[in-house]
Amino acid sequence: MSNAVEFHGIRRRFGAVAAVDDVSFSIAAGETVALLGPSGCGKTTILRIIAGFERPDHGMVSIGGRDVTALKPYERNVGLLFQHYALFPHMTVAENIAYGLRHRGTDKREIPDRVEEMLALVRLQGFGSRRPQQLSGGQQQRVALARALATRPGLVLLDEPLSALDAKLRQDLRAELKQVLAAVNSTAMVVTHDQEEAMSLGERVFLMQSGRIVQTGSPSEVYGCPGSRFAADFMGRANWIEARVTRRETGLAQAVSRSGLSLTVPHCDAEAIDICVRPENIVLSAADTSGPDGMVNSASGRILNVALLGATRQILVETSGGDQLLVMQANRVGDGLDPGKAVTIGFPVDACITLPAGNQAAASTSL
Amino acid sequence: MNGRTKRLGDRILGGAMVAMLALMLAFLVTPLLVTCLLAFDSRSFLGPLPPPALSLRWFERLASLDYVATGLATSLKIALLATVIDVLVGTAAAVALDRGGFRGRGLLMAAFLSPLIVPAVVIGLALLLFLSRIGVIDGFTRLLCGHVVITLPYVVRTVLASLAGRDRRLTEAALVLGATERQAFWSVTLPLIRSGMVTGAVFAFAVSLDDVAVSMFLTDPSTYTLPVALVSSMRASFDLSIAAAAVLLMAVTAVLIIVLERFVGFDRLLGQGLFRS
Repeated sequence: MSNAVEFHGIRRRFGAVAAVDDVSFSIAAGETVALLGPSGCGKTTILRIIAGFERPDHGMVSIGGRDVTALKPYERNVGLLFQHYALFPHMTVAENIAYGLRHRGTDKREIPDRVEEMLALVRLQGFGSRRPQQLSGGQQQRVALARALATRPGLVLLDEPLSALDAKLRQDLRAELKQVLAAVNSTAMVVTHDQEEAMSLGERVFLMQSGRIVQTGSPSEVYGCPGSRFAADFMGRANWIEARVTRRETGLAQAVSRSGLSLTVPHCDAEAIDICVRPENIVLSAADTSGPDGMVNSASGRILNVALLGATRQILVETSGGDQLLVMQANRVGDGLDPGKAVTIGFPVDACITLPAGNQAAASTSL
Repeated sequence: MNGRTKRLGDRILGGAMVAMLALMLAFLVTPLLVTCLLAFDSRSFLGPLPPPALSLRWFERLASLDYVATGLATSLKIALLATVIDVLVGTAAAVALDRGGFRGRGLLMAAFLSPLIVPAVVIGLALLLFLSRIGVIDGFTRLLCGHVVITLPYVVRTVLASLAGRDRRLTEAALVLGATERQAFWSVTLPLIRSGMVTGAVFAFAVSLDDVAVSMFLTDPSTYTLPVALVSSMRASFDLSIAAAAVLLMAVTAVLIIVLERFVGFDRLLGQGLFRS
């Protein structure tokens, strides 16, 4: 089998707004893709076009090699996990799961077995006769997943699958969701605005901005080699240093930041560059101890403030040149990293992501 | 202003609210209580309250009146038939209005709900003229037409409210699970708006049972509803059997309200008719 889903030049306008603007992509069978973007970027419209709730103005959608552009939702076999689950409140859990089976022409005698099988898959055996309102949020989510997967759809769409749950439950269910998707071995598309969800669930990430897909790649590619300031900022926290290249060597470049800091960065063609350094790649040590070893780029500075996040801390450092850099550090006992403390920071060459200055990708990148 | 004067202000306001509510309740309930008391009065004339002795004589007299029995039978028949027609037509109309997507939707909605605003006298006269023009002179048919017109808005409104309050994604969920639009309507939408339909039906039934103004125009000498019969008899000869009839009608209404409360929940009655588990 070839591609499970193909999008060819899809456009969809709502009034003057191009919600989806010439989007093409393909998803291989069995692959899990995360469609990631800020709210209003058009990712929900793409989901609705695949499910058949919206028709594109232009372009062609095919699922499993079949052109489905003009087909109704019930003429495609797509599973959809709704953001707020959309479980039928007047039916039991078992009836909810059986709904798709009944309407997709499964043999009546087979239905009870399939329902039990799905309940076992999401670890809710014995819950079949309950009503959705009697279940917790996490259990409802699992019922919705079971309902979406019951008909063995060729493609499963997951709309913000974990956003309605609280943070702790979200992490547990994320792992479980991944297991279940792997167990049924179906093609899946996760639509989300949460980059953690996208990177942990997706084998590939499609990053969207203003109706277009601006970058695709594996989670580590998109996180480690963002193609634009928008991508770098959206995928995680980023420190930005504006600099000018002064000298080039093989594979490397020497640059001087606006504040006068000398930096060694990976090779780049542009003169004026923006350097992105992720907070977790900066090593920080107190100025009175021996400084970070082997770091090509280093600066001295002072801690401005510390935000404790539990296992980690976000430390804001002001360098002597006046740059403010955010550093992510493990929260270790008694290292004395408090506001006001003089520190040395350092980061290696490959921690520097260089982009040509003013690379703003599409219209709005400031988040 | 310090805390104490603020608190005093709140207490005065709160007290005034309670007093006003009590006054309003008294205003609403006192006539009902007086009527109940009078219905059981054993005197044959309208004397000062309270009655010296209680009896069921007015209920007995009411039961002995032919026109009351005839009127009640007609009233119940009309109310039941009108309610059935209302639920069928009103639900269909509400679903169409809710789906929208056609021109003149606002106009159509206004037309469906207009009997709530147009004075009953106007509706009654207009219907009488129109129906006789198209050759409907049978009293029962005329009354039924009139009652459908005045009670239909209640069903349309409550069903519209429950449609607006439902989660549209449930219909989408049904479609993506393989149900056609028709199947999704029967298996998902209809069960979700059931409480709206029940509420509307009870309202329609009660309004139909109660109506005088429109019915007055549409009766004929042999077909009349109970309220019309009572009003005419009151004009002819006033006695307390009318109070007994009022007590009976109140009892019917009370039963309807209890039924609604049990099946739908009273606060949802006037708010959104959401699905109740």
